[in-house]
Amino acid sequence: MEKVNDKYDFSLYEYHNLLHQNILVSYKGPIDERIMTVIGDNIEIVTNDSTDKARSKIFKIFMELAQNVWLYSAESCTTLSGRRLGMGTLVIGEFGDSYTFVTGNVVRNTDIEPVIEKCEIINSLDRDSLREYRREQRRLAKDGKNKNSGNIGLIQVALTAESPLDIELTPVSDEESFFSIAVKIKKSNSK
Amino acid sequence: MELEDIVIEGSHKNFFTPSVNFNAKTGICELSGESFLEDTQEFYKPLVDWLEEYTSKIKKPIAFIIKLTYFNTSTSRCILDLLNVLKDYEDEGGDVTVNWHYDENDSDMEEDIEDYMIDTGLTINIIPF
Repeated sequence: MEKVNDKYDFSLYEYHNLLHQNILVSYKGPIDERIMTVIGDNIEIVTNDSTDKARSKIFKIFMELAQNVWLYSAESCTTLSGRRLGMGTLVIGEFGDSYTFVTGNVVRNTDIEPVIEKCEIINSLDRDSLREYRREQRRLAKDGKNKNSGNIGLIQVALTAESPLDIELTPVSDEESFFSIAVKIKKSNSK
Repeated sequence: MELEDIVIEGSHKNFFTPSVNFNAKTGICELSGESFLEDTQEFYKPLVDWLEEYTSKIKKPIAFIIKLTYFNTSTSRCILDLLNVLKDYEDEGGDVTVNWHYDENDSDMEEDIEDYMIDTGLTINIIPF
């Protein structure tokens, strides 16, 4: 690809164009509660043409997936005060009568297999079975030390979205891959 | 030693702290607002401990009132812990009432409350507002 601008090595116009169609909010970087507040506020603003119910769903899904990136991304940075923040990418787009919400982050290949399995189980269950699965996982989760709480989050996301978890895993090195989860939420979600 | 009331004022900043009012004299325990915390266990463990102490030492009726409009999945585990203490107390003959108020348009919440009932075996009065 030719350098479009010899002042800097990056074409902001191309980046803008890539994101411009259908993307309402996009973020790439570290995630913590302060960043979640800002992104959450942005999401609220750009989805103001949908029902309260749809916005509530988007909010709940955002909270779980964003926190998963924060806690579990293999790519992280450390703040000046020593906090470890997971890093990832988050996009909310608008396609037809639905929003698509996607988060992605780097994962270690050795860690991701159980997560993929959990997602496949989640996607195979009908709503009643998914609720039962959530009850079971909630019972199993012990104290704050459990590794399952990220997974209960995924079950919750599938239930809230009322749609499957669209997962993708792309190897980036021998040890790591990029893992993304997308869900669709209907704009006019009503009872 | 007398069991002290727990009174926590809720707040909605970057994290969301729920409002808590556990009254040892009236047995009325209220948990309301939103829950998204930095350390969920650290917040809820004293509440669980308080219920355990109330149900083992004071042993009077208890009315547990939930009015949470949002709670994350980490909190949902702690809610189960709280309800399990109440269920144990009920099994031992304790007088337990659980009222859960929810937005009538929030069918996800309604389902979640039903699931807590199934899981704990407690009768939860589901009250729409």
